[in-house]
Amino acid sequence: MTGRQRPLLAGDRLTLMLTLVPYLIEKGPVSVADAAADFGVAPAEMRRGIKVIAVSGVPGDGGLYLHNDLFDIDWDALEERDEIVLLTHVAIDRSPRFTSREASALIAGLMAASGVPGVNERGEVASLVQKLAHGAVEAPAELAIAVGQVDALQARIADAVASGVQLRFDYRPLDGPVERRTVDPVRAFSSDTSWYLRGWCHTRRAERTFLFDRITDLEVTEIPAAVHEPSEGGLFEPSGDDVTVTVCFDQTLTPLLGAYLDGAKVSTAAGVSTAVVRVAHLHSLKRLAARMGGLLVVLDPPEARRVVAEWAAAGLARYD
Amino acid sequence: MSAASVRPEERQLNLVLALVATPNGLSKEQILRSVQGYAERAGGDRRALEKMFERDKQDLREAGIPILTLGAFDDPDNNQDSRYTIPKTEYELPDDITFSPAEIALLNLAAAVWSQGSLSGAAQSALMKIRSLGIDVDEPILGFAPRVSLRDPAFDALRTANEKALLVRFAYLRPGDAAAAMRTVEPHALLEYEGRWHLFGLDHDRGAERTFLLSRISGAVTITDAQFPPVRRDGAAARARAALDALAASQHAVVEVTPSSEAALRLGRRGRIDDGVLHLPFVDAHVLADELASFGPEVLVREPAELRELVIAQLTRVRDAHMGPAPLAPAAVAARGAAA
Repeated sequence: MTGRQRPLLAGDRLTLMLTLVPYLIEKGPVSVADAAADFGVAPAEMRRGIKVIAVSGVPGDGGLYLHNDLFDIDWDALEERDEIVLLTHVAIDRSPRFTSREASALIAGLMAASGVPGVNERGEVASLVQKLAHGAVEAPAELAIAVGQVDALQARIADAVASGVQLRFDYRPLDGPVERRTVDPVRAFSSDTSWYLRGWCHTRRAERTFLFDRITDLEVTEIPAAVHEPSEGGLFEPSGDDVTVTVCFDQTLTPLLGAYLDGAKVSTAAGVSTAVVRVAHLHSLKRLAARMGGLLVVLDPPEARRVVAEWAAAGLARYD
Repeated sequence: MSAASVRPEERQLNLVLALVATPNGLSKEQILRSVQGYAERAGGDRRALEKMFERDKQDLREAGIPILTLGAFDDPDNNQDSRYTIPKTEYELPDDITFSPAEIALLNLAAAVWSQGSLSGAAQSALMKIRSLGIDVDEPILGFAPRVSLRDPAFDALRTANEKALLVRFAYLRPGDAAAAMRTVEPHALLEYEGRWHLFGLDHDRGAERTFLLSRISGAVTITDAQFPPVRRDGAAARARAALDALAASQHAVVEVTPSSEAALRLGRRGRIDDGVLHLPFVDAHVLADELASFGPEVLVREPAELRELVIAQLTRVRDAHMGPAPLAPAAVAARGAAA
């Protein structure tokens, strides 16, 4: 269901097996592939787990494991058809309680999700938080996400995404002209405090990402949005205007620079990193450099250094 | 199965099964002699075997599995007479917990908030426990997905210390200070506020509850052995939120913003604009100064004076660092403490 596969530690493997037993009791025979997908693990990991369960059990009085005290599976089904058939189970039939960390991860996630338009209309978040806390082995950790208020634009885009209709709006890219766009929305997502719309742009004939802040004069049409082939894409689209620059920066800024450093060669000496990065435009570079306040310095090309120096000087001139 | 091939999770699974199945508990002796994974090694080094058992108990408790010790008086974990059991009612999800398909869809959305990192794994394993209750649900259409990023290296250590109610020590760089200073803190809550993670807790050096920005912690966080009363965490996230809300309500910047500029676009939604002048509430002057400096000539800070000076100082540093020929890399960047 999750589509992603995560690497497992010994503790995760134990939790996987303890959860797999009730899952199999509830679900009945299931293919290794389906079970692996449901748990978000590799099929090999699932096979390994089921083989361990199949030879585990409860020690009898004499310290011997008797047949009735062991799990059993249909080994032929596993080996010939890659199918899991649980024949007998012992000792456990329900999943373990949530750990404090598991409960708090979902509770904090619910808080963030409750800021999404339409999510908490019937107050279901509060009762869910109670259920999660009730099902946890200890009190959930104090972990919280403060969500901002939903504005009218967010609410209208959310509606359009949910009902699958085409949007039209004026879009103003960074230092570019305003243009009317027609977009079939795919999804909306946030990154830090900014919200983005991912959608198929009829004007560009390609999937694009739009920052909510740059959208004005939004029109929600009644035209059903067409379904397009999904395409991978992040916040930054490569374009012909890309500029390659050399920057150096305080090593501690590395996590903050995130996407800028994707695919960049970075070398670090004495706490200072040097990287060759591609930026969409010198206009975005000057804003980044000004934000970092001297902890990130553009080294090359000279033109890029000049653009940054002039930007800062123009800002300073306002205080003369 | 030969002893050498037994992996920790196999032995631990058999330990869980044995302890769930025993109503009156098993002694350490019985466990080491009879439970799969231990029994195969019973003829070997006794001390190594006992150590393994202690480690397994620890691992199970960390995985949220409640192991009860019966009949021990002095030192519950080391008494030879102790008996161990896992009470089924405390182990398994309570019977009365059920989730509607609509609730599951909401929980899927909640889990997706953690796009990466250790909490993503925790959220996924909680979802699996819920799905094992046998509620089939179609994957909902996640039209709107909030995402929280966890890029602060200090996050995992602080979260672990918060869960275990242990004191932490870390170097904290206050803006304007020349160097980071060590702090000893009870981590009461972690709060994401305006896109940044904050630690809220009792600062032992100051004797009061304080809020720390995770991005200002330099170097590794040390988790100490010293416990603080877990009850002090209760409601701390709400207190942290209230403290930051109160701070934002108590201070606001007055900024001239060039109409229809990038600054107007990005800042406009967050404050009130009167006659081209933006009134913007803020929590941290240094964080806001970083952002305002990025807008260069598009903004002019009128008030407060402190913010105005910070923006001027920042723009001066940026201009000076980019004038003339490029310096050599290490010398180009001012040391972090001095720069702030």
